[in-house]
Amino acid sequence: MILEIEYINNLTSDIWEMKLNGDFPFNNVQAGQFINIRIKDSYDHLLRRPISIAEANTDMQSLTIVFRVVGQGTKWLSQRQKGDKLDVMGPLGVGFPLPDYNRKVLIVGGGVGVPPLYQLAVDVSKYTKNVHILLGFRNARECFWQEKFADKGELVIATEDGSRGVRGFVTDALKAYKSYWDYVYACGPRPMLKALKQYFQGQDVKGYVSLEERMACGVGACYGCVCSSEDRGENFRICKEGPVFPWGEVDI
Amino acid sequence: MSKPDLSVEIAGIKLKNPVMPASGCFGYGREYSKYYSLSKLGAVVVKATTLKRRLGNPTPRVTEVTAGMLNAIGLANPGVEQVVKEELPWLADQNVPIIVNIAGETVSEYCQVAEIISHSGLAQAVELNVSCPNVKLGGLTFGADPVILADLVRQVKKVCCIPVIVKLSPNVTSITELALAAEQAGADGISLINTLIGMKIDLKTRKPVLANKIGGLSGPAIKPVALRMVYETARIVNIPIIGMGGIYKGEDAVEFIMAGASGVMVGTANFTDPYACPKIIAGIESFMIAQGLKSLEDIRGCAL
Ligand SMILES: Cc1cc2nc3c(=O)[nH]c(=O)nc-3n(C[C@H](O)[C@H](O)[C@H](O)COP(=O)(O)OP(=O)(O)OC[C@H]3O[C@@H](n4cnc5c(N)ncnc54)[C@H](O)[C@@H]3O)c2cc1C
Ligand SMILES: Cc1cc2nc3c(=O)[nH]c(=O)nc-3n(C[C@H](O)[C@H](O)[C@H](O)COP(=O)(O)O)c2cc1C
Ligand code: FES
Repeated sequence: MILEIEYINNLTSDIWEMKLNGDFPFNNVQAGQFINIRIKDSYDHLLRRPISIAEANTDMQSLTIVFRVVGQGTKWLSQRQKGDKLDVMGPLGVGFPLPDYNRKVLIVGGGVGVPPLYQLAVDVSKYTKNVHILLGFRNARECFWQEKFADKGELVIATEDGSRGVRGFVTDALKAYKSYWDYVYACGPRPMLKALKQYFQGQDVKGYVSLEERMACGVGACYGCVCSSEDRGENFRICKEGPVFPWGEVDI
Repeated sequence: MSKPDLSVEIAGIKLKNPVMPASGCFGYGREYSKYYSLSKLGAVVVKATTLKRRLGNPTPRVTEVTAGMLNAIGLANPGVEQVVKEELPWLADQNVPIIVNIAGETVSEYCQVAEIISHSGLAQAVELNVSCPNVKLGGLTFGADPVILADLVRQVKKVCCIPVIVKLSPNVTSITELALAAEQAGADGISLINTLIGMKIDLKTRKPVLANKIGGLSGPAIKPVALRMVYETARIVNIPIIGMGGIYKGEDAVEFIMAGASGVMVGTANFTDPYACPKIIAGIESFMIAQGLKSLEDIRGCAL
């Protein structure tokens, strides 16, 4: 489907926020799902770029994505302007299952794993007021959407250099909490997800992680984007069975 | 003017048009059936099926390159029994002919899979993927030696009651020698080309991007090679040819037909645009209308 860029905005030196509207099933978006974006109508980039849905606003009939420029595709995206059209597929994949009412929830994000957690925080806040949000960035200049998240739960920021919030990784910041949680939701670099899974090993929490892998089709047809099950006995397609998985089911 | 006739007949199977999604690029059809009715297609070719379940290679398995992509999926599939039980019955209800791509590491594996597929009554043809290494013969691919290929085709033909299409690998010195060997051994059709072996290196890690290091190149980058191979093959064999490699538009498909192909398969284009196959069918139809063609037979092989 074709969506129109309502605005594009620079959040940090290399992270951009883009709002899209048009004919899209905004009402059917589950936090953690993604869209697959065509880069130029040419043979330069044949594979679409998967980007998580950061916010789906049913009233405004709009979709917001946040992405970091890391290569040619995301660079091209960052150079689009208001009014330009984008060819997208979605919403794709399976997102985060929401908690039962009034449970204690921890949301953990790192870097560009943070965006999809915003829609999650919006949805989760309809089920419980007990929401802790812990976001990790490299430094203060890399932080984004702090106010938006602060509005949805009790927010703690961790930066690797200590230029904002707690110094260190999110797993370091975790040690300062005197709390337990029923649900932990996470999206970010694999080492962070792995550390989290280990940290909560043996505890009675439901943990969900969102994974990334290089994709071709984005719909489950090519078996390009697999991850292995915890016992490595079978594979799941991240684009179709994921990108969100209960952390006990996958080998992170 | 009346609508042009896009139908073709390949190895005795009647197809309403010459366009089929290529093996490995369309799963078992379920995903793309959410985008359009599969009955619009000439046929559906499913993923490579092996005797036992295969998990495939480690990731990254896919990466983009200039005008193409590399893949090293590693024949991931649930195994023939599961495919016959869980996947083919659904696909058989979609009102479209089914071609099952099969692979193995020994002649006996190919034969067992072909026999099970043939007996299931759910598929109209099998397509032998001969790009896999022959374990018994020290890893040389079945598709690289005319004698080994001919033996494989002969053995499969003995146990398989549905048409056998042989899918040739382009990673050989003489494609015509292999095509002839397949024809003489009794193949009912030939499809080509499979992917060309390639590589991409990540400048940051200074290592190959794919975990498997090498992978198969597909997409528009390989179209001229594919077209040349279809052309050369069409000049020497009499069995029907299905051409593929970088087909993205109706015009690309028409080129393959002019080079002698009866049908075409579309792989990578499905990833770029989920509607690629129906758009290519429409593109062929527009070309025929613009040129006043009644049937594809009017142009098939006209470039030879
Ligand atoms: C489900 C999912 C959700 C994602 N959500 C976001 C998001 O919200 N914000 C964000 O900034 N990034 C996100 N990513 C990562 C994003 O897809 C890549 O950064 C992007 O594809 C890079 O494209 P490029 O052309 O700029 O980079 P290049 O390196 O030039 O791309 C070359 C190829 O590699 C692929 N690729 C490169 N890096 C990655 C990666 N990390 N993951 C998957 N494929 C990659 C590209 O898609 C492309 O096919 C997500 C990835 C996945 C799988
Ligand atoms: C992700 C991927 C998986 C593939 N899997 C198979 C396969 O299982 N069996 C097979 O014979 N060919 C396989 N192929 C090759 C294609 O069927 C086709 O021959 C090739 O991609 C060239 O066509 P294209 O340029 O239109 O993609 C695969 C190709 C891709 C890109
Ligand atoms: S990207 Fe093709 S199966 Fe996930």
